[in-house]
Amino acid sequence: MQQIPDVIREIPLNYYVWFSAALFCIGIIGVLTRRNAIIIFMSVELMLNSVNLLLVAFSSYKADPAGQIFVFFIMAVAAAEVAVGLAIIVMIYRNIQTIDVGLLNKLKW
Amino acid sequence: MPILSVLIFLPLIASLVVAFSPDQFKAYFKWFTLGVTAIELAICIYLYQNFNHDVADYQFLEQLDWITLPLGNLGIGSIDYLLGVDGISMPMVLLTGIVMFVGALSSFQIEQKERGYFSLYLLLTGSVIGCFMALDMFLFYLFFEFMLLPMYFLIGIWGGPRKEYASIKFFLYTLFGSIFILIVMIALYLSVVDPVETAVRIGLINDVSEITPQIITEVQNLLKDLKIPSEQIVHTFDLRFMPDAGNFLPDSWLNILSGTQIFSFSARALAFILLMIGFGIKLPAVPVHTWLPDAHVEAPTPVSVVLAGILLKIGGYGFLRIAYPIFPEVATEYAFVIVAFGVLSIIYGAFNALAMNDLKKMIAYSSVSHMGFVLLGIGSLTSEGINGAVYQMFSHGVLSAMLFLLVGVLYDRTHDRRIDSYQGLANKMPLYTAMTAIAFFASLGLPAFSGFIGEVFTLMGGFNSPLIPRWLTAIAAFGLVLGAGYFLWTLQRIFFGKYWVRQFEGTLEDLTFREKSMLYPLAILAFVFGIFPHLIFDLTNATISELLKLF
Amino acid sequence: MNAIIALSLFGISNLFLGFLNNRKILLPATLVFILIALGLNFADWNHEYYWFNNMLKTNNLSVNFVTIILLSTFLVVAISRSFGDDDEHSHPAEYYAILLFSAVGAIMMVTFENLIMLFVGLEILSVSMYVLTGSDKRSLRSNEAALKYFLMGSFATGILLFGVALVYGATSSFDIHGIAQGVAKAKEQMGGAYGPLLYSGVILIMVGLLFKISAAPFHFWTPDVYDGAPSIFTAFMSTVVKTAGVAATYRILSISFPSVYGLWGNPLVYIVCATLIIGNITAVYQQSFKRMLAYSSISHAGYLLITVLAKRPETNSSLLFYSLAYAIATITAFAVLMVVSEAQAKNGKADESFEALNGLANNNPLLAFSLTISMLSLAGIPLTAGFFGKFFVFSDAFSNPSSLFKWILVIAILMSTVGIYYYFKPIIAAYMKKGEVAKIELSPLYKFILILTTTLTILLGLAPDLVKNIF
Repeated sequence: MQQIPDVIREIPLNYYVWFSAALFCIGIIGVLTRRNAIIIFMSVELMLNSVNLLLVAFSSYKADPAGQIFVFFIMAVAAAEVAVGLAIIVMIYRNIQTIDVGLLNKLKW
Repeated sequence: MPILSVLIFLPLIASLVVAFSPDQFKAYFKWFTLGVTAIELAICIYLYQNFNHDVADYQFLEQLDWITLPLGNLGIGSIDYLLGVDGISMPMVLLTGIVMFVGALSSFQIEQKERGYFSLYLLLTGSVIGCFMALDMFLFYLFFEFMLLPMYFLIGIWGGPRKEYASIKFFLYTLFGSIFILIVMIALYLSVVDPVETAVRIGLINDVSEITPQIITEVQNLLKDLKIPSEQIVHTFDLRFMPDAGNFLPDSWLNILSGTQIFSFSARALAFILLMIGFGIKLPAVPVHTWLPDAHVEAPTPVSVVLAGILLKIGGYGFLRIAYPIFPEVATEYAFVIVAFGVLSIIYGAFNALAMNDLKKMIAYSSVSHMGFVLLGIGSLTSEGINGAVYQMFSHGVLSAMLFLLVGVLYDRTHDRRIDSYQGLANKMPLYTAMTAIAFFASLGLPAFSGFIGEVFTLMGGFNSPLIPRWLTAIAAFGLVLGAGYFLWTLQRIFFGKYWVRQFEGTLEDLTFREKSMLYPLAILAFVFGIFPHLIFDLTNATISELLKLF
Repeated sequence: MNAIIALSLFGISNLFLGFLNNRKILLPATLVFILIALGLNFADWNHEYYWFNNMLKTNNLSVNFVTIILLSTFLVVAISRSFGDDDEHSHPAEYYAILLFSAVGAIMMVTFENLIMLFVGLEILSVSMYVLTGSDKRSLRSNEAALKYFLMGSFATGILLFGVALVYGATSSFDIHGIAQGVAKAKEQMGGAYGPLLYSGVILIMVGLLFKISAAPFHFWTPDVYDGAPSIFTAFMSTVVKTAGVAATYRILSISFPSVYGLWGNPLVYIVCATLIIGNITAVYQQSFKRMLAYSSISHAGYLLITVLAKRPETNSSLLFYSLAYAIATITAFAVLMVVSEAQAKNGKADESFEALNGLANNNPLLAFSLTISMLSLAGIPLTAGFFGKFFVFSDAFSNPSSLFKWILVIAILMSTVGIYYYFKPIIAAYMKKGEVAKIELSPLYKFILILTTTLTILLGLAPDLVKNIF
């Protein structure tokens, strides 16, 4: 178990930062461009996971466990969010048989 | 007895009484209101009788601590409940007493939602009179803003067909102005120090009552040298301390020596201009007058009376109470601009009045023109000018009340205000004709009536003032000719010739007893104050000479 | 901080109370629960305590914020009328429990000492609100609002978290005071410049939080969500969520990042101006009272941010006073809106437009009067609490020597004039327009709450030092 931080440290920190930033941006673009609620939701999860990766990397490099603890919190809370989010999406699907956010226009933007 | 507080709180309490009394007393609301305003008038006359003419300072002072706010390292903020009258406010308080009483009489014709109407009317009375007596700027602002609400509802609910438009326009205009005043108020508040309370705080004296001029000077010197820790400084809205440059924090925005620049403007000049816009809207001065004709046309008669008779005066009063004493050097610098706007109002108002076919609009524009004289008098910065301006405000209050009542008389009978709908009324309504003639002649400045004194003195001030060119005052004098023009022309069109009224079958009754009881006293007042101008000048003289020492 | 524990337990016991067949007991029970929590909260007064291994910290500022949050929750619960009599589709026990849970989240957001707690608190509050927004399951508007809120909310959370991660990378700490030290150290190492991690981290944290308090340009979800959610939860969202969000923003910016003021201050200036302008100008064009209130909540976020930006020692108390005044007035407005829109319902759909209020004053003087006072307070007319709120905010901006504040002031002042225009629309409708609203029967509790909030608004307008001295 001691080696895991060492394994992580084999790759330079910069790479982690850039990789997470790239994942994060892909997530943002997904949220902004896709119209299917599930895909948007997955993009959001992608954003959260990029955060997790970044936190773990920082945590290993700084030899500070707090970052990894934060990751657990994020995972737990994200799970709760998924539960509520999927429930909402199912509720919508039951009402209008679609989950295309473009068709949700009862409320004007 | 705290007589000034009675003057404010009597109508406020009466307003609550009306608002919460059961419906079966509906018929007595108007009598109750009339009674309350009569008591107010009596108190105003009592004040007038007991006012010491030789004292320039504030009299009947009442002071209570109201709000004390800890401001962290800015010091302490103090807002006082501070009332008093001096030579400038005394005529206005008296005017308020008179006009409100007459307005209450005129309100007898209100026939729907009486409870709301009389409750709001009393609320208006209290806040207007409070505005004239408040010596704490915050309190002043509070009354200033607060009177808009009852006014807004009075126009908006009991008004004519375009009442919504007129009332919201009135409200937004004046509120826009009062926000300017609010900015200056906050800036002043952060700049001005209460030397008395500060002396108590830093332990120079133990109690407010021990204050002497030496201690005040000592505090001011300490302030200048930044020797007072900022937590100990008491900020104040007290208008009595604001004219003294020594009470300003040395590095504050509005200190005359700090020379702060905002948007490459001197901060003090900017503050003065904001105040002028704020009060100018209320006055109203051209080009921010456009709310006035609309509000007047839509307002019911008594509300028009109050609006023209008192509310406009608050603009002029604000100049004299706040803008001029606090920023004297800016006022001197901008004297020309202010007078130019005054003259513009006189001429523009008069030409518009000449063109109007709606009687109420005609009178509204004549108000704009007449209030231009107030601006001229104040801007001249001479004793004659300012005394004349206060006189003109008083006189215009009485006369415009009378004019709007007269329009109301006609409107009640025919529901038509167009000048060209009437001809030869003199045959059918001799008393009405006589009253209208008196009001018109007094307004256009016939000697022996009050309008004459105000206009002549403001013009004299304008000619004597070294700050403004003669030609400007000469143009203002031309406004008198125009005034004579529209009043006489209207008189001729409505009252002379063969009797004819457009689309009106019934007979026109002459003045009723109630109308007589409103109009006769006002006519007598216009006459009495025209012959004995010292009735007002005695009040104002001492205070205004004191004020002029600042310039 | 026992309030957090107590409220969580009360929430759970509320769920159990739902099993009883007596629904009438839920409302009074919840009110009592909140009052107990309020009492526990006051026990922390004048004590500076760290709780849960330095995760939370209470001081007088946080006690005051918690008081405002619990007071708002109390008022919202009191006007909830047990969520109607519709037995089949309403679940009052669950709603009350979720309201209590979200209050816990809000409390964590104003007392957090560690960014983990900020995140957890924010999520507790947000997830509860997603559920409550969509609670009207058969209404498509409610569904749509819930989905939008959920997607936007989790998107904002993602942004916030990425910011947190970057700041962690720059400062090696999640503790807000630790971050402040880390920032100072980093600044020293970089010779006064900010590293890219810190720079983007602070901005992303700020953006994430501004999403939650719906400051422009991150406000676009607000009108839809506020409009679509059941009115009672909109009232909760626009008061409790907003207060907690602003408090959290203020807490993190003022404690963790005061030394990099330029970094977040400069963008915030433009955000404040945009929020004020967009919130107020768009509100003018609204036909629906509820939507207008949504835009009004955006504009008030702008005023609140002014004082956060001004960074004066008085900011604490100004923020508290403004939030309190705003919360009370907004809840009053929603209380009136709810009963009137139901009474005016057409085809079973509540009518939330301004027209629904036409002629309200004729038969319902109390409702019309409360509405007037609340609108005046929101517009900032003197003798109401809102006036002093604005007054304190403007004073703060004034006393900040930076010349940027003069521009902010100019905009804020112009916009508060615009505000008066639309806040008067309901008053005009209630008093001046012709129309008929039948006499609405109010329960004694409802009446009491209306009178209480109206009195409080006027009282705070007459004597602001009553609470300002405490804050």
